Amino acid sequence: MTKVYVGMSGGVDSSLTAALLKEQGYDVTGVYMKNWTKDLPGMKCPWADDLADAKRVAVQLGIDFKVFDFENEYKHKVVDYMIDEYKAGRTPNPDIMCNQEVKFKIFLETALEDGADLIATGHYARAEDGVLKMATDTNKDQTYFLYRVTGAALKKTLFPLGEYTKPTVRDMAKARGLFTAGKKDSQGICFVGKVGIREFLSQYVEQVPGEIIDKKSGKTLGHHDGAIFYTLGQRHGLDLGGGLPYYVVGKDMGKNEVYVTTDLNDETLWKDTVQLKAVHWINDAPAAGVYTIRIRHRATLTNADLSFDESRAKLTIHDQQRAIASGQSVVIYRDDVCLGGGIVL
Amino acid sequence: MINELLYLDHAAATPLDARVLKVMQPYYTDQFFNPSSPYVLALTVRHDYEAAKQTIAQTIGAKGDELVMTAGATESINLAFNSIGGHVVTANIEHHAVLAAAKRYDHTIISSDEKGIVSADAVRLAIRADTRLVSIALANNELGTIQPLRDIATVIHDEREKRRQVGDTTPIYLHSDASQGAGQLDIHVSRLGVDLLTLNAGKVYGPKQVGLLWASSHVVLNAQIVGGGQERGLRSGTENVAGVVGFAKAMELADVHRKYESERLRTLRDELQQKLTTTFEDAVVSGSQKRRLPSHLHISFPGLDAERLIFALEMRGVMVATGSACAANKGTRSHVLTAINLPPEVADGSLRLTLGHLSTEETIAKAGAIIIEEIVRERERLTK
Repeated sequence: MTKVYVGMSGGVDSSLTAALLKEQGYDVTGVYMKNWTKDLPGMKCPWADDLADAKRVAVQLGIDFKVFDFENEYKHKVVDYMIDEYKAGRTPNPDIMCNQEVKFKIFLETALEDGADLIATGHYARAEDGVLKMATDTNKDQTYFLYRVTGAALKKTLFPLGEYTKPTVRDMAKARGLFTAGKKDSQGICFVGKVGIREFLSQYVEQVPGEIIDKKSGKTLGHHDGAIFYTLGQRHGLDLGGGLPYYVVGKDMGKNEVYVTTDLNDETLWKDTVQLKAVHWINDAPAAGVYTIRIRHRATLTNADLSFDESRAKLTIHDQQRAIASGQSVVIYRDDVCLGGGIVL
Repeated sequence: MINELLYLDHAAATPLDARVLKVMQPYYTDQFFNPSSPYVLALTVRHDYEAAKQTIAQTIGAKGDELVMTAGATESINLAFNSIGGHVVTANIEHHAVLAAAKRYDHTIISSDEKGIVSADAVRLAIRADTRLVSIALANNELGTIQPLRDIATVIHDEREKRRQVGDTTPIYLHSDASQGAGQLDIHVSRLGVDLLTLNAGKVYGPKQVGLLWASSHVVLNAQIVGGGQERGLRSGTENVAGVVGFAKAMELADVHRKYESERLRTLRDELQQKLTTTFEDAVVSGSQKRRLPSHLHISFPGLDAERLIFALEMRGVMVATGSACAANKGTRSHVLTAINLPPEVADGSLRLTLGHLSTEETIAKAGAIIIEEIVRERERLTK
């Protein structure tokens, strides 16, 4: 019997994943990956409930259950990366890094060493012989977060939920009486939890007040707690009083200045070319040409010309896109196949 | 409906007795008055409150004005420690409330023996010239083991005498958290030989967040919560009249039924233990068999994962605990099981089964059969 290790987070998606694989005749083992969490004063360890939920479902299904402790790896590869990127003034995506470094690398390796033939997760995506394809539920499709995974890893991976929509998944979980069927979806970055990214970061970087400057007039409009807390296109949290809303259009990390405007058509907010670094292709690199791209999770797919300039890739986007920030990922597709992507320079 | 529950976790919480709820209700509605208000209706409430304290005091052989009503046992324990402080002595099997309170002061934590009993000798050896407080629970919440409080009281008495003879005025007191044994054991303070006693209504079919600290008249307490001066200034805040009236009723009922209930639970517990240990020859029962609450059965099935077992049992309607509830949440092994040197592979397969009002011949038989089935199923899964 094929042995599959399923990453179980205690949520409804991974619970149903395990249930479906068991029904399909696999020898299923549930694995809770203990990732790094910040201990907040006065709060009980937040992951304990999730671990208990995952285990409860495993017992319900009568499958083996293990805990893999990836706390150190997660801290170094994901959390530190995120903090460093913010410090450098960029806008990173820790979920993408988590998939690249933890779920589809360390988890896969550890599972295989432990006797697994395959791994599985509750992602909304499809993997067909090492090729990553969008989920049937285009609204829920999570390939944006998976573009840095390797084709070799995908050959060892099952995504049983790729064919279903989220409401169907809930119904199927309910029909099976899974304990987690009604559980709310997790929000935001797991290790940041309820406090929010700003509060999380402020525990790692000193808050240095700086000026908020109107890009057009050069006038100082107010003060902020540190340029790193602001990202391109951001509207909220500027606290500049009434009138038209201001948007972040740039920042100078050296001077700790944040530039804003009320002009929705400001040129820095809209881009039609992007340079990508750390380009990753799931399988072979595609030839230059026209592809569809996605600049953030659930963003509308849009056409772009892909060209190469030595190690860097350049995209010329047919329709201008708003607020493409340095550090965020652009993912490239051909039809429903996710080819890979890169990080905005 | 509640009577059909297969609930074996009475050490964690007890259901409110219907008779207790009945006497509490008027104080939430018609008799809502603040006991400190000047009109006659309020004075009546005040009178009822004082009478309830008097009733509680009588069940432990004390006076009403020696009680400080608190919001549960943890507050009571904190009040005791923070009032007396100094060097404190307690044991490694005590509840987290006691251990955490002790760690705020210069402390000595003595070891229990492998049967979960704290010896009077160990207490004697730990007492220093500056020791002011010794705190040992009447019965351990995980194992149910009953501590030799009377012998420990003798040790304290001897130390006090020794100090008196050399003219040393440093006081030394014995405190005991009797929350766990109150429904089954004699908790008469002079017979126990304690100077301070903690009780918790929530463990004797009374309301949660209602407890008390009794202190003998020679103990000086210091208020931790100040304000309007209620409870002789030792615990300010408008009195929890309904809660205390309920507590009094619960203590009265416990007093009346103690002997019968203890025997009833002992019989049921022994049957359950017999059934489990004969079915599983490798089962390990922890805690002294001679000195154990009739309600408690701590049993381990080596090699099993107790947490899995708990989830499996819950799906079949059987509610049990592993170690203490707090330890289960933190994903760590119970400090009590570590203290009694239970090997990890045994400790991790431990269930704490605690009986009480909801335990009947029928529910225990049903629960026992389900526990056996689920253990067999887990063992089959492991060997496949």
